[in-house]
Amino acid sequence: MKTDEVLSILEKHEEDHSGLISILEDIQSKYSYLPAEALKLVAEQTGRSLVDIYGVATFYKSFSLKPRGKHLCSVCVGTACHVRGAPLIAEEFQRQLNVKASETTPDKEFTLEKVNCLGACAIGPIVVMDGHYFSNVNSPQVNQIIKKTKAGLDDAEIKEDRRVYLLDVSCPRCNHSLMDPSRHLDGSPSIRVTVSTEGEHGWLRLSSLYGSFTVESEFGLRTDTIEDFFCPHCHAELKGASQCPLCRAPMVSMIVRAGGVVQICSRRGCKGHMLDIDGSGL
Amino acid sequence: MAVVYKYQGSFMDRLESIDAFRKLQNRLAHDHDSSKPTIVIPAGTCAQASGANDLIRVTKRELLNRGLTDRIGLRITGCHGFCEAEPSVLIEPSGTFYPKVDVERMVRIVEAVAEGKVLNDLLYVDSSSSRKIEKQNDIPFFKKQVRTILARNEKVDPIRIYDYIENQGYNALVKVLKKGEPRWVVEEVKASQLRGRGGAGFPTGLKWELLANQRNGQGKYLVCNADEGDPGAYMDRSVLEGNPHSIIEGMLIGGYATGANQGVVYVRNEYPMAIKHLMIALRQCHEMGLLGKNILGTNFSFDIKLVRGAGAFVCGEETALIRSVEGKMGEPKQRPPFPVEKGIDGKPTAINNVETWANIPVIIAEGAKEFSKVGTKGSSGTKIFSLVGKIKNTGLVEVPMGISIKEIISDIGGGPVSKAKIKAVQTGGPSGGCIPADRFDLPIDYDSLTKAGSIMGSGGMIVMDENTCMVDVAKYFMNFLKDESCGKCFTCRKGIQRMYEIVEDVSKGEGTLDRLALLEELANVVKDTTMCGLGQTAPNPVLSTLRYFRDEYVEHVKNKHCPAGVCKALITYSINENCTGCTVCVKSCPENAIFGERKQPHRIEPEKCIKCGACKAVCKFEAVTVA
Repeated sequence: MKTDEVLSILEKHEEDHSGLISILEDIQSKYSYLPAEALKLVAEQTGRSLVDIYGVATFYKSFSLKPRGKHLCSVCVGTACHVRGAPLIAEEFQRQLNVKASETTPDKEFTLEKVNCLGACAIGPIVVMDGHYFSNVNSPQVNQIIKKTKAGLDDAEIKEDRRVYLLDVSCPRCNHSLMDPSRHLDGSPSIRVTVSTEGEHGWLRLSSLYGSFTVESEFGLRTDTIEDFFCPHCHAELKGASQCPLCRAPMVSMIVRAGGVVQICSRRGCKGHMLDIDGSGL
Repeated sequence: MAVVYKYQGSFMDRLESIDAFRKLQNRLAHDHDSSKPTIVIPAGTCAQASGANDLIRVTKRELLNRGLTDRIGLRITGCHGFCEAEPSVLIEPSGTFYPKVDVERMVRIVEAVAEGKVLNDLLYVDSSSSRKIEKQNDIPFFKKQVRTILARNEKVDPIRIYDYIENQGYNALVKVLKKGEPRWVVEEVKASQLRGRGGAGFPTGLKWELLANQRNGQGKYLVCNADEGDPGAYMDRSVLEGNPHSIIEGMLIGGYATGANQGVVYVRNEYPMAIKHLMIALRQCHEMGLLGKNILGTNFSFDIKLVRGAGAFVCGEETALIRSVEGKMGEPKQRPPFPVEKGIDGKPTAINNVETWANIPVIIAEGAKEFSKVGTKGSSGTKIFSLVGKIKNTGLVEVPMGISIKEIISDIGGGPVSKAKIKAVQTGGPSGGCIPADRFDLPIDYDSLTKAGSIMGSGGMIVMDENTCMVDVAKYFMNFLKDESCGKCFTCRKGIQRMYEIVEDVSKGEGTLDRLALLEELANVVKDTTMCGLGQTAPNPVLSTLRYFRDEYVEHVKNKHCPAGVCKALITYSINENCTGCTVCVKSCPENAIFGERKQPHRIEPEKCIKCGACKAVCKFEAVTVA
């Protein structure tokens, strides 16, 4: 835990006057649990007693005081899932991962939790692994879900996957192509732009395959920094009109040759993006 | 310079007056070509879980590659309700509906739309008549519904405020602002006879009147309760995900009517997409001057903030919700004082459910008289139910109040999912009860359901068939409620725990008839002596199952037998004569408890079997018996 990170969360919430629960949620989403030192800091800064903070942190189920695993596996045990066999699914996860509900495997890979309803009742039993929904699950599928998670749920097989395709983009200001055939990423010409952050100025190459998040940068990969994007030809800032739906950083927009606009989040590491094929905006 | 946005000049410009709003709306309507074929892809949580995201990507690719982006529109929307058929695609303006679409089919659909054709082989097949049905509105699931709220999900992309405005969005707000009489709004809502859709059914207009009459010293609060905690109910999620602006508009009208200046939407943390879409919608409203100070240039000011819950069922109870908003433990408080006198931070507060808020713009736009024509005398309007469990057509159904349970289950729901007969429907979540099949003639309204020992609740409708054990259902709810009881009242904390233990004993075959009597007594004590709604209604699942399915309890107690084959301690798995010796079950068994030669009937070793159900799940020949 870093003190300044927690302080910046506290500061953010001071501005928007949201309560303790939102503060704790943001801390938890940063560290996957609520570190004791963070709670102490929250108590100090908000002027509330540590007992109060601890009370709130233990009252609500979504908070964890223990570090959680790399993957969070939530098995829905709502009524609709229950009558369709969710208890068997939950038991099978417990057996295969060899942990009880709300526990983490010793190798810190998986945390298993039972949740009361995820609101996707029509297609239950539901399992959510790191935000990916699995529907109509039966017990023989449990093993496959665990295997898939270990292999990486986000990894689309770029070459075979028909959902992935190339976007030919250009600068919204000078209309000059941003494609760079001299350097391939994922086997296709990359998109080259100029980025700057904290006084440093350099190139960034993005995969032109829609659905791939491969990037290369002059500075190496810096996650969680918001960068300003510029056209390498006319040097105009590629500023989008909206904020990232995931992290609220400004979006960067580029024209798609075949029609429309693609927007990506300016925060490195964030996967927020929008492909708007008729270009009507919001 | 390339044109980035059609509306770049006015993009997200603040609307300084009602006239500016009208001008924007007229221009949007003028630019919209309703004859242009549009592919509508529902992408709520259910649809995305079923693969809608892949369809969206492929559609974009096909439209781009074929240069069709000018000729064919694409709209990504929230849930349309027919979750069973997801991922599905709707074509406008023809109304053609394609269920269970995959990537390959999607490519063909784009092609067909471009050529103005219909793909007969991909249409919905009605299972009772084996007839193919092209149009969505002719499908039995949709035909009997009155989709006042849900149909609007089809028309808008939830992250595009222009879609909402183009479809008469914020017109009700404008009507109210132009009229300039807050009192009239309250009277209109009262006249509509709208009752709270969250469960208790308190008349909304009356609640607003109480709030409006409070002195406005330090401000008042309006809350949208989106802590949809009832397991098996998800209509609020679908409305928030699919049409967040309708909630915002409802709250703005409420704020104007009651003199409140601050709104809070309390959303449970388990609904990430609802939170995301609402955040985007709030931001758009701020930018366009539909929220904040001097809305549309008038002297009306109102703001809304979003508060996330953190996984506590009791926070759906209004006094607990208030504490949670204040950043405290969500323990209920004694009433009175009622929230409408002393709510958030001690200020007068009115709390309404998501679906209630979504009805407000409809009432104002149509007029109370028109609105109250739908439904029954004591229960006006429509109600959305989540029809789930052991039923063929699962999904969200919106029906006029007063429709019978039978019509929902048989006509809309399409009846049982397998050979097993439907025996009960559970309504009202953990606070509700089970209604047996022989009472399915019951009309659905607040009062009839209460008389039958259940409640309307927020709208979960979980269908149970012969393979559902009612003792197990009661045990399930007691287990749920003992975990969710906040612990403040002794009778709730300990009483539910004891009820759970007794029901658990029954499920293990260790119960006695005396204990059943004790269970009933205990249930009544908990009901009478707890403070908040959670405790007072907690015994309902036990009382209603005892009332209608006592024979199942007795069967567990006397014969140590679970008729539905659910209670693990009382069942054994075996393989019957249907077995073809395909060995699929052998591979699925985690304990290697199944033996037999290939192409010969197999058997299960009872000592080794852990009753995980894997063999039954994979068997294609119904050869695994549970008894």
